Amino acid sequence: MIKKHFGIVGVVAAAAIAVSGLVAPTASAADKEITVWADETRGPNLEKVFAAKGDWVSGYTIKVTTFSSFDALKTAVDNATDLTGPDIIVGANDWVPTGAKNGKLAPITLSSAVKARFTANNFFDLSYKGKVYGVPLDINNVAMIYNTKLVKSAPKTLGEMVNYYKANKTSKKLTSGLCIAGGGTSWGAHSVLSALGGSAYRMKNGKVVTNVDPINPTELAKNIKTYLLDAKGKSTGFFPASDAGCKDAFLAGKVPFAVIGNWEWKDYVYKGFKMNLMPVPGIKAGTYGQMFGSVSGALLTTYAAKRGVEVGAKDLLIKFFASTEGAIRYQSLELRPPAEKGAQSADLTAAQVGFGKAATLAGIPQIGILNGTAGSKSYWDLLPAFWTAILVDGKDPKSEATKMNNFFKLNIAAGVKDL
Amino acid sequence: MKVLYLRKVTKTAKYVAVALVSAILGLLIQSAFAQKQYQIAGFLAIALVAIVVVYLTDVSVPFKFLLPGMLFLFAFVIGPIVYTVVMSTFQYQNGNYIAKDESIAQIKLLGVEGDEAGTAFDAVVGRDRSGNLAILASDVLNKQYFVSTSEIKIDLFAADLELNSDGIATSAPGFVLVADSERGSLDSLLSSTRFKYKDEFFVVMEGSDIGVVKRQVLEYRSDTDVFINLIDGRTFADNGRGNYADTSDPTEILQPGWRSPIWFANYVSLFTDSQIREPLLRVFTWTMIFASLTVLTQFALGLLLAIAMNRPLRGRRVYRSIFILPYAMPSIMSILIWAGMFDTEFGAINNLFGTDIAWFQSSLFAKTAVIIVNLWLGFPYFYLICSGALQAIPADLSEAAAIDGANPRQIFSKITLPLLLQVVAPLLVASFAFNFNNFNLIYLLTGGGPSSPLDGDIAGATDILISYTYKIAFVGDVQNLGLASAISVVIFVIIAAISLYGVRKSKVLDSFS
Repeated sequence: MIKKHFGIVGVVAAAAIAVSGLVAPTASAADKEITVWADETRGPNLEKVFAAKGDWVSGYTIKVTTFSSFDALKTAVDNATDLTGPDIIVGANDWVPTGAKNGKLAPITLSSAVKARFTANNFFDLSYKGKVYGVPLDINNVAMIYNTKLVKSAPKTLGEMVNYYKANKTSKKLTSGLCIAGGGTSWGAHSVLSALGGSAYRMKNGKVVTNVDPINPTELAKNIKTYLLDAKGKSTGFFPASDAGCKDAFLAGKVPFAVIGNWEWKDYVYKGFKMNLMPVPGIKAGTYGQMFGSVSGALLTTYAAKRGVEVGAKDLLIKFFASTEGAIRYQSLELRPPAEKGAQSADLTAAQVGFGKAATLAGIPQIGILNGTAGSKSYWDLLPAFWTAILVDGKDPKSEATKMNNFFKLNIAAGVKDL
Repeated sequence: MKVLYLRKVTKTAKYVAVALVSAILGLLIQSAFAQKQYQIAGFLAIALVAIVVVYLTDVSVPFKFLLPGMLFLFAFVIGPIVYTVVMSTFQYQNGNYIAKDESIAQIKLLGVEGDEAGTAFDAVVGRDRSGNLAILASDVLNKQYFVSTSEIKIDLFAADLELNSDGIATSAPGFVLVADSERGSLDSLLSSTRFKYKDEFFVVMEGSDIGVVKRQVLEYRSDTDVFINLIDGRTFADNGRGNYADTSDPTEILQPGWRSPIWFANYVSLFTDSQIREPLLRVFTWTMIFASLTVLTQFALGLLLAIAMNRPLRGRRVYRSIFILPYAMPSIMSILIWAGMFDTEFGAINNLFGTDIAWFQSSLFAKTAVIIVNLWLGFPYFYLICSGALQAIPADLSEAAAIDGANPRQIFSKITLPLLLQVVAPLLVASFAFNFNNFNLIYLLTGGGPSSPLDGDIAGATDILISYTYKIAFVGDVQNLGLASAISVVIFVIIAAISLYGVRKSKVLDSFS
C-alpha cells in the first residue's frame, strides 16, 4: 500500500517539478538585452524614446523597467541581486558612493570627447574615489521664483526682499517673505545659507578647499541677526525654519519669494505664474546664494558584466544617454534641463531656460562630502537643525554657526579623500 | 458506489493540490538557487518533501494538520530570528555588503588606472588571422594605428588601412570586423580582454568603439591573501572586519569590503562605544517611560470610561459606539490626521487654543504629543476590556462591602480594582510589550524627532528602540545592519522576558496543564 502511494508521490512530484521547470525563467533569454531601471516619470519617457528608435546599440535590445516611484526604484536597487539587477540605473547622484562601496555600481572611463559634452562639475556628482560611475542625464536644481503680482521686478539684494516683507507683511497678509517650497530646508535652503555668507563646503579651481572654514560664524551670525531676526533675537518670520505649507502659501499669493525645484515648475505654470526665476540674491547686489545643482545619472551596474552585456551597456551610456541626439529626444518628453551641452541649445521651455540660467549664475555641485557623517551627522541633518535652533528655539546664531562649522569641517576632512 | 466515487474525487483533488503546491515550491527552489539563496532553497526543498510525504502517505495523520502551521512558524518566526541573530555577528553595513570573493574581484577591477595623458583610441572590434579577438585602434589626431590582441600589438600605416570620414580605421589587412549580430555573444570576452599596448599598459574597451589605456595598480596575492600596490609597494591585508587595510595605515581601506564575521563585536560596541552607548541608553530610557506611560494612561482612561458607562445612563449605547470609534479607525490614518492637527502653523490644536507651540520641534512637546496620540489610539481597547471585566465582577461583593460600611472609594480600591487587575494584568503586560515596539506611531507622527544634531544628538527625542534601530539599519550613510541586528536581538530578549513574566504572572499556561 505504502509502496503504491510512493509511486504516486514520485509521479506527482516529478510532474510538478517538470512543470515548475517549464515555467522557470531561463538565464539565456535575456543575454543580449540591456535592462534599464527608471522611476515613474523617466521610465515611460525612455520607453517612448526607445520605441521610436531602438537601434542605439547594434546587436542588443533595450528593455526599460519602470518603478512606481523614485523611492520604489531605490528600494529595488537596494534589493537587487545578480539575477534581478539591471544593467543601467537612471538614478540619483547620491546613490553613487553607496552603490560603489557596496559593489553594485561599476566605473566607466569616458573619453575626453564624451566628457566635453558636459560641464566638468557634473562628473563630481557621479564620482567616487576618482572614478566615474555613469553619465549625467538631467540637472536637478532649485531657483527662486518671485510673484510679480506682489513685487514688480527681480530683487537685487536680500535686504531688498526683507524690506519688502517688513513693509507689506500686515497689509498683504504675508505668511513669510522667502520660503523653501522645493528641495527641503537642507538641499533647497543652501542658497539661503550661502546668501547669508555660509556654505556647506568651499570650492576653488574645481577642487574642494580644506584649509578655509566653510562658515565664518561671526559673519554668518551678523547677517542672520540683520536679515532674519528682530531686535530681541527672534525670527521676523521672513524666512521660516520649516518648508511646510510654503508651496501652497506661494501659490495663494501669501509669499512673494519661494525657492522651487525644477521638477515641479508645471504646478506653478498651471496656477498662472510666469517662470520668473533667479538665484537667491546675496547681501550685495550682483552676488547670489549658491545652490546645489546636482545631476541625475544613468549609472552602470556591476550586474551588466555578470550578465554579459557590459560592453553593450557602456555603448548605450555613451551613444544614447551621453549623446546630443539622445538627450534631445529624451528631454523633449521629460522636460528637465538636460545635462548634455548640445541638448541645452535645443528648443527649451521657459522653465528649463530659467533654471538653467540660475544654475549658471550660482550652481555648485552636490558632492559626496554632504552625505558624510564623520562629525556624527551629515549636512542634510545639520542645516535644518541650524534653522530650527536659530529661528524657532531662539538660540545664539554665533554659537550655533560655530557648532555647524565644526561639524562641516569634520565631514569635509573625512570625505575629501572619497571624491 | 457514490461514496467510492466521492473518495476518488477527493483523492484526485488532493493529488492535484499537492502537485500544484509542489510545482510552486519547485519554481521557488529554482529561483532561490539561481539567486544563490541556498538556505532558502534548502528550506523550500525540505518543505516540498515534507508536504509530499505527509499528504500523500499515511505516515502521520496529526502532521497533516500541524505541517502548514509548522512551516509558516519556521519561515516567518524562527527563520527571521535565527537570521537576525546570525547577522548580528557580522560586519554588515554600507561598504561591507557582498561576499569576499566578489569583493576581491571588484577590487581587482577597480585597481587599475589610466596613463597620465588619459590616452584613448577610437577602435573597432574584429578578429586577427588566427581568429583571436582583436581591436583595430586609431589615434586620429596623431595618425597612429595598430591592431592589438591580448598577446601582441602590431603598428600599422595609414596607407594600408581603410579610413572612414572621421579618419578612423575600419579595415586592415588580416583584420576581420565582427558582425553586429555577433557582438552580443562576444560581450563578456570583449569586456574582460586586456589588449596589448606597451610595457605594463594595456587597452580595455569602454563600449565597442573606444579603447582606453590602463595599467593594473592593485595586484591580489592569493597565497597570502593580500593586495599589493604595484606603484608604491603598499600592502593591504584582511583586517578581520571585512576590508583590506593598508598595513602601515589601517584607516586606509580598499573598497568594496565584504560581510565578515566579527562575532560579538556588535554587542560589545553597545557597551563600549560611546557614540552608540549614550544614545542607546537615552532611547532605552525613553522607550520604558513611553511604554509605561502609554499603558498607564490608556488603562486609566479606559477604566474611567468603563466605570462611567457601567451605570445606567441615557444614550449609553451611543456613547459606547463613539468610544470605540478611535479603535475602529485604521491607526495609520489617525496618526497622520493627528500629525496634521499638531502642525505649528496650520494645525487645529494651535488654532483651537490660540497657541503657537512648535509641537514637533521641542523635545517635551513632541513627547507629550506622542503620549496624547497613543492615548487616543489605545484607550478604547482598555475601555472594552474593562467594561467586560467589570460586568464579570459579582455585584454581591460591592453590596456586601457597602452593608459592612465601606465607602465607594474603598469598594473600588479594595474590591473592584484588585479583581479587575487579576483579569487585565496580562493584557497590561502585553500592551507594554506592544508599545515597546510601537514603530508606526513614532515613525508616522514625529519620525523620532526632534533632535539637535548641532548639540551632538544622534537619536531623536521621541525615538524608541525600534525606530532607532530602523534608522541605524536603513537611514543615513552607514546603514549598519549588523549593529541594528544586535539591537534587535536585545529588544527581542527584553520583550521575551516581559512576555514570559506576563504569562507566568497570569498563569495562563496552567489552564492547559
